[in-house]
Amino acid sequence: MDNLFDATHQAMKLLVSGDQELWNIIGISFRVSTLAISLATIPALLVAFLLSYTNFPGRRFLIAIFNTLLSMPAVVVGLLFYLLLSRHGPLGNFKMLFSQSAMVIGQIALCFPLLVAMSHSSFQAADKRAWETARTLGAGPVRAVLTLMREVRFGLIAALLAGYGRIIAEVGASMMLGGNILHYTRNIPTAIALETSKGLFAQGIALGAVLLLLAFTLNASLHFFQGRGQSVS
Amino acid sequence: MTVHFTKMFKRFGNREILSGVDLILSENKCSILTGKNGAGKTTLMRICAGLEKPESGRILYEGTDESWGRYTGKLFQNTVYLHQQPYMFDGDVIHNLEFGLSKKMSRPDRKKKITEALEWAGLTEIAHNQAKTLSGGERQRVAITRAWLHEPDIMLLDEPTANMDNEARTRTVSLLQNLKKHNIIVLIATHEPEHFYSIADEWLVLTDGRIKNGELPVNRNSNVLQLHKLQYAQAFT
Repeated sequence: MDNLFDATHQAMKLLVSGDQELWNIIGISFRVSTLAISLATIPALLVAFLLSYTNFPGRRFLIAIFNTLLSMPAVVVGLLFYLLLSRHGPLGNFKMLFSQSAMVIGQIALCFPLLVAMSHSSFQAADKRAWETARTLGAGPVRAVLTLMREVRFGLIAALLAGYGRIIAEVGASMMLGGNILHYTRNIPTAIALETSKGLFAQGIALGAVLLLLAFTLNASLHFFQGRGQSVS
Repeated sequence: MTVHFTKMFKRFGNREILSGVDLILSENKCSILTGKNGAGKTTLMRICAGLEKPESGRILYEGTDESWGRYTGKLFQNTVYLHQQPYMFDGDVIHNLEFGLSKKMSRPDRKKKITEALEWAGLTEIAHNQAKTLSGGERQRVAITRAWLHEPDIMLLDEPTANMDNEARTRTVSLLQNLKKHNIIVLIATHEPEHFYSIADEWLVLTDGRIKNGELPVNRNSNVLQLHKLQYAQAFT
């Protein structure tokens, strides 16, 4: 018990003192995950919209695939992209393995199905009259899609927050694709795994506290936006 | 300006809803469309608005042949369809009215136009109310005004006075009367034609998948209307 208190005490000191190594790890985590979610969002929303508002052969199959991918373990995504990006893999020439770019790719693969599935549910739940009203009032396809997105924005924001929560806390893909290189690809989850394996708990607890704070912020935002959505519609 | 929809066929499964409907809509004319439940009034209007495609049919609009590409084409750009329960976008009444305006319009012009529209429809008092919280009658008036701001050639209204009290109905009908002054073609699908006799120029009855012409009462005072309502009710029961 004393050990836990000591480690927590040291962790708080590390956080408050502005320990450069610790904040560097936090910075990498946020940079990689923010870039991944930014790149995934627009394509995912478009795919979700097309799955909701168009009819084409294989649409139901695609929806089933995205729903299945929701439960894909991060380590399996890591393994898949490791094989693709490794020197002898089909994308080996790009020499991206053990880089932040590889981590971004892995995280996009992780959050994309979640974004599509949750956004698809939001679009499906939207009143079809919203789309028809926009179109009949002269809105072009782009304006009508943007209008629809505005109508279901709380659901879409919830999808983004859930996606961000999934990738910033995942360890499997980041470890396999980033390689946990200090000052380059070491992010919060991989650092926690490493420090814990060395028996150095202070940094792990400090980073865990940051993740917990982030999880709390994301969940609080999610509740706020879901509440707004329910009260308006 | 005249729009001529000819030989429109529409089927849902084995059931033929429209069996070669011919419909002519002319400028400055208000038509009422009646028919039994399930006769295809809504389907016909949605087809006329480009929201649904018929199995076959032809449109002649300002002398040119139009096709049924979804919403594309000049006709559908100038046609507004109002649902039985109009959809209100999230935001206040002004936000909803702005949707009807062209994006190219300057900010001061938009503001001026919105102020005019609010006065025109008697919506000034509720201009800043959340549109989703409005009553059915107020929603209908906002929707008609929003459509009017779009400056369409044709306005198709599906049961615009359904479930309204007398006051809300009178306000809505008076708004529709104003539309006629702006040379807008108005087609109203309704189960209560007597409410629209005062503004209607023709009465169309959709029955067995085809349109027949109904006869509007010459004398539209209340006793005659009551009698007509009774005859209408008997015809469809």
